[in-house]
Amino acid sequence: MMEAAIQRAGDPHGAGVYEVAFRFPVGSKLMIDAAIRLLSLANQIAATSRRVQLAFDEGEVGTMGYLNRVGFFDHLTREIEVAPTRPTYSAASVHRGGNAGLVEIARINKDYRDQSLPGRLADAVKRSCATRADIQELTGAAWTIFAELIDNVFSHSRTPLDGYAALQVYPRGDRLVVAVSDSGVGIMETLRPALHNTSPYLAQLSDLDLLVEIFRQGISRHGSDRGDGLRGSAAKAMKFQADLDVRLPYQRVRLIPARGAYAPNTAHCFDHLPLMWGTHIGFTFRLHG
Amino acid sequence: MIALRDYMDDGQGWGREQGRQVFQRLLDAVEAVQDCIVFRVSMRGVDRADISFASETLVELARRFRGQKGFCLVDLSDPDVKENYEAAAARKVQPLIVWTRGAALVLGAQPSQGTRDALDFALQRPRTRAAEFVAERSGMTIANASMKFKQLWEQGFLLREESAADSGGVEYVYSRIG
Repeated sequence: MMEAAIQRAGDPHGAGVYEVAFRFPVGSKLMIDAAIRLLSLANQIAATSRRVQLAFDEGEVGTMGYLNRVGFFDHLTREIEVAPTRPTYSAASVHRGGNAGLVEIARINKDYRDQSLPGRLADAVKRSCATRADIQELTGAAWTIFAELIDNVFSHSRTPLDGYAALQVYPRGDRLVVAVSDSGVGIMETLRPALHNTSPYLAQLSDLDLLVEIFRQGISRHGSDRGDGLRGSAAKAMKFQADLDVRLPYQRVRLIPARGAYAPNTAHCFDHLPLMWGTHIGFTFRLHG
Repeated sequence: MIALRDYMDDGQGWGREQGRQVFQRLLDAVEAVQDCIVFRVSMRGVDRADISFASETLVELARRFRGQKGFCLVDLSDPDVKENYEAAAARKVQPLIVWTRGAALVLGAQPSQGTRDALDFALQRPRTRAAEFVAERSGMTIANASMKFKQLWEQGFLLREESAADSGGVEYVYSRIG
């Protein structure tokens, strides 16, 4: 929904754009992955000297209150205007860690490495999916997925902008969503140079096809070049039936693993999207397997 | 015996950078005991290890000393840690042997069809010679068996040392890692 709204409005990074306003009408809702993508995007636009405004029609009782609770405003660039007004206190600071189904937005910055972050995210998975038969394995896999993705952000963030990670459980939807978002060098730019020598076939694919191929090979047990962080974590996520959503600067891929033995994995691809720097990855795990 | 946990800051092996630091500490420890050829690395106390960490530490150490020194893993029970070492070793085309109650499991690079039997034979005994393998396999020549063991040594599955053959020439004695 957020993607659709941005696409309708046009490229906020576009030339000739000096002011960008995000408006949240009454009744609008954001999920955690969209929230940290929005956070990254708003900070990116502000970093390019544009005026940015977030307008919440419902004020604190609506989306703004939710964003405050997950720590959104703690990380939102000071210069960004918030209407009606920025929250006077951070609900995330007050209640941090108080909800077992929430890991408030954490900053990912290589100079301030939070050693406990993958563990906190994995523990939340363990608590929330406790009834799954594969919970022990799932917890280990979840830790690896977060560790690899966050480490990737450290390795590839050649920008002063922070990356972010957050997790939220949605009991009514029977799912848990984890999101890692960064404004650094996109994964394609870090993957491509290595491919020219190792996999000429992959090197000639478009970004979108390459991404799908990475996931496809990631789940094959005998891929020739597996083991790299993204591929390894994608493989684990799919083994545990997680949906993946990856947003690149201009593209997005949603990957839905096969639920039955004969159904294929499905990839939904979107191209020519408005520019968003970095890599933004969301995983959705089922709470009950 | 090396306890990997002793070289880590805590029980979580996370990321390339930490991996490189731990690698340096391991390298110092390995180089401090020049005469030691086989290192059994205990994974006890290592609660987590991601693919990047696995790749930068033990897989890199095994790759660097391939053919000269051998590194194997013991006390590895966590399925996720095992899977990550498997992925990291496969990516560097490096075999890594895990020992569990006397049984060997090869992670990462696998022997070819033609050498698998020779490797299984070698893993069942501390040391072996090509001639011993030939004696137990009908139709196998010394030259053929020697070639298989040489390949396994070059690829990092086995270690070897020279010894004087009964005939007066040089014969290689192959030993398993672990």
